[in-house]
Amino acid sequence: MRINRTTTIVAVLTTAFALTCVGIFLLLYVNLRNAAWSLQEDVKVMVYLEDRLPIEKVQALERKLKIDRMVDEVLFISKEEALGEFRAQFPSESHLLEGLGENPLPASFVVTLAPNFRSPDAMKSWVERVQTMEGVAKVDYNQEWLSLLAEFIGYIELVAIGVGVLLSAAAVTIIGNTTRLALLARREEIEILRSVGATRTFIRIPYFLEGAVLGACGSALSLGMLKFAFELFRQEIRLTGRFGGIDGMLSFFPLSVCLALVLAGMGLGFAGSVVSLLRVGEGRV
Amino acid sequence: MDAIIQLIHVSKWHDRKAALSDVTLEIDKGEFVLLMGSSGAGKSTLLRMLIGEEQPDEGQIFVHGKNVTKLRPAEIPYLRRKVGAVFQDFRLLPKKSVFDNVALPLIVQGAPEKDIRRKVTEALRAVDVEHKKDQSPNSLSTGEQQRVCIARAIVNGPVVLLADEPTGNLDPERTREIIELFKLINARGTTVIVATHDPHVLNQVNRRVVTLVQGVLLSERRIGQGVGA
Repeated sequence: MRINRTTTIVAVLTTAFALTCVGIFLLLYVNLRNAAWSLQEDVKVMVYLEDRLPIEKVQALERKLKIDRMVDEVLFISKEEALGEFRAQFPSESHLLEGLGENPLPASFVVTLAPNFRSPDAMKSWVERVQTMEGVAKVDYNQEWLSLLAEFIGYIELVAIGVGVLLSAAAVTIIGNTTRLALLARREEIEILRSVGATRTFIRIPYFLEGAVLGACGSALSLGMLKFAFELFRQEIRLTGRFGGIDGMLSFFPLSVCLALVLAGMGLGFAGSVVSLLRVGEGRV
Repeated sequence: MDAIIQLIHVSKWHDRKAALSDVTLEIDKGEFVLLMGSSGAGKSTLLRMLIGEEQPDEGQIFVHGKNVTKLRPAEIPYLRRKVGAVFQDFRLLPKKSVFDNVALPLIVQGAPEKDIRRKVTEALRAVDVEHKKDQSPNSLSTGEQQRVCIARAIVNGPVVLLADEPTGNLDPERTREIIELFKLINARGTTVIVATHDPHVLNQVNRRVVTLVQGVLLSERRIGQGVGA
């Protein structure tokens, strides 16, 4: 290494720390997004029918829903089935309905939208369209909840990008300064190389490579630290026993993302060296 | 004879003081030229201009057919590969061996390993330090270090060899040896220019002498000629 050992270690550790902070936000964003995606997968739209709708109109509505390209699955629940489900889910409250005499629960269709149309906006537009159909009394889904979640994830994404840009700039600066120190320490050698006919590329390439290696090492170390912290967190959740099953839903970056992050670290390190060499000035390196 | 170096009305100022003032000079291929003058006469400035280290404020400089004043920064390294340079302070890399120091000009050009070994051995043999090739320059005497420097300057077979006060750190005996080495190199066809203020060197070299005084080319003398401007 052209740069002395202590400077190298400090640069790698500082870069690793900066990239770990970015990684925390990135991990949070990825897991929240996965959670939102999983919730969206589970979302069912309840299409409640008007009371005493003739069977032909129910069947016509069912056909209409089934041929809709935004719909994946349609399940009809009759009034009797709805009452049976209510009694099964709320056995202690079922006596409330008995007092009314007639079954007040409406028939409904439980609709699962096609995967491409499960975003809050797509769902909203479909619901608005179905609400105008003949025989439909009401359409219901957890719209507020999903919209809030989507908004929250949007904010996390913005913060992750902001933090990412700032700390990446910090990593570039750290490695750039390390390269500059190396250049200053070896200016005599560089002068000799220039005097015997070394081109600027010949002199610069080793420093570019070292910057890239520093960046890659910092990034790899940050992933190691993140993984360690992640597993510690997951174990804590498991031991608490309160958030049953959540530890199973949490996921670390897949291998492809880890490799991409190491490459990104390499790119930042390379950029730091380039910036540093440009700042040293024309003709001097 | 062909001029390998031409300076045409070259002037250079440092802090409003003339380092060189309207210097016109031609050096033919194969010549041995002594550039004489006291400290601050402009000798080093002139030599630095020949390798593109400094640019003149006025005038033009030609080295081996190339107009140095019009070269782009990316072309300067290729000029320096044709011009060997020897310095008073040797400028050897202390952490590399003698062999590796001499090989440097070949390494930066990307020469094959076989060629490097052959040429470096020849250069070390020519200056009589082959037996020290694996040692560090710091373990050598000043005379030997200067020989290594000369080996590095000639390993590429340059067309011109420049030496800026090469004997400044040497005693008279070592000075005599180094100058003889330069004469030997010149005898093989390399144009040699030695900048010095050492009168011992003048006594040893009875060739062309160019004298600079405060940046002005005061006089020239060739073998068999009287002093002329």
